[in-house]
Amino acid sequence: MLRNKLLQRTQKFSRWLSATTLALIFLVGVALVGGAATSLLEAGDNPPDRVPSNVAWTPETIAAASAGDAFRGMLLARRCDHCHGAEGFSAVGYTPNLAGMDKLAIWKQLEDFRARKRLSRTMGPIAESLSSRDVADVVAYYAKLPVFHDSQDNRIFPQNPPEANHAGIASHLVSFGDGDRGIPPCQACHGPVAYRPGVPSLATQNVEYVLNQLEAFANRSRANDINEPMRTIATLLSEDERHALAEYYGSGLGLQPGSAK
Amino acid sequence: MKWPKLRTFLLTALILCLIPATRYYQIDVPLLRLLRGSHRVDPLSLHLTGEFVENNLGTEQNPDGSVTVRMIAQQYLFIPHCILVPAGAPVHLRITSADAVHSLTFNGTSYAVKVLPGTISETQLNFPTPGEYKTTCREFCGAGHYAMRSELKVVPREQFPVLHQEERGSCVAQ
Repeated sequence: MLRNKLLQRTQKFSRWLSATTLALIFLVGVALVGGAATSLLEAGDNPPDRVPSNVAWTPETIAAASAGDAFRGMLLARRCDHCHGAEGFSAVGYTPNLAGMDKLAIWKQLEDFRARKRLSRTMGPIAESLSSRDVADVVAYYAKLPVFHDSQDNRIFPQNPPEANHAGIASHLVSFGDGDRGIPPCQACHGPVAYRPGVPSLATQNVEYVLNQLEAFANRSRANDINEPMRTIATLLSEDERHALAEYYGSGLGLQPGSAK
Repeated sequence: MKWPKLRTFLLTALILCLIPATRYYQIDVPLLRLLRGSHRVDPLSLHLTGEFVENNLGTEQNPDGSVTVRMIAQQYLFIPHCILVPAGAPVHLRITSADAVHSLTFNGTSYAVKVLPGTISETQLNFPTPGEYKTTCREFCGAGHYAMRSELKVVPREQFPVLHQEERGSCVAQ
């Protein structure tokens, strides 16, 4: 009796199971065919995507960007001396200082110059003339140059660092940002508190360069920031704040974490 | 209804109830992923290809009157920084993260979405009356977390711009 009942139940269950399995297989089939059909249809009339930069920070990219030979880079970098300074400190205001800059940051900009994602009449052709190995080497050299002055080096540092006239405004933005407007603190990405891959440290940078870049981001003439963080922030900043921030980083205050004062 | 039959019915009902639960708790079930289409994206290459490229972010107008909003959450910004939606229309929000775990909370409403890297978080929203809302990240995401805020503007239907098929709307100041 019991055996009979058990058998019955097992049969019933197996029937139910097979029916459910069949239904599931059918549903999966429909989903697969439907998915393939829609993806084929969608592929037809897509507008061209605006890609800000071809760089994506995958582990392979980071490995390739940081595998340069600094000595070879030093020899190659003699070409850069004229504008970026013999030891990575630029004498011209609108060219960036490269000493001690993060490898990934310079690497990304050179890649973007090569791919015409960041436009520059000077750097475009120079970057295009470099092979990808050259780029990694030059980057490794500049990353090794110290930012700090010590008694042993006879480098020419910027003689009179500009005064930070509006350090109060800038310091507050650097350390706290502005929550009401949704402006994140600069030091959370540009250091010294935290960094993100490909973000330049702003320890000592030229006033004019920082200001030019903020303005270029704001008017979209520079648009190679991945997922547009800098374009958004530069637009949110007022004219005065852009000047204050440029002066702040230009006067070397960026070496220390910002404070409320 | 006899017990075995009822049991089968209850079991099926339970399994069917678990399907929306997996979505709510964002549990990844490969079979279900096949059924509902892929919700996976590569957080590192959002800007290169796919749904979250730059010119596809913002509000998209659907033929049925609803809108789709696509956003990226990234340390420490929501992009686009100001979202524009028409009042009363169903809003399909699709958001993903480019780095850490974030969340998107609409202050003053009961809407909140958890945003995970690699996954598209989907929610249906509806704002019946025009107004402005602040949106906040409520998931600690790093040194600038507390300043990670943005805005949502709900405008009357008439004031919402007519968007063509490839156009995306937002209220970001240019």
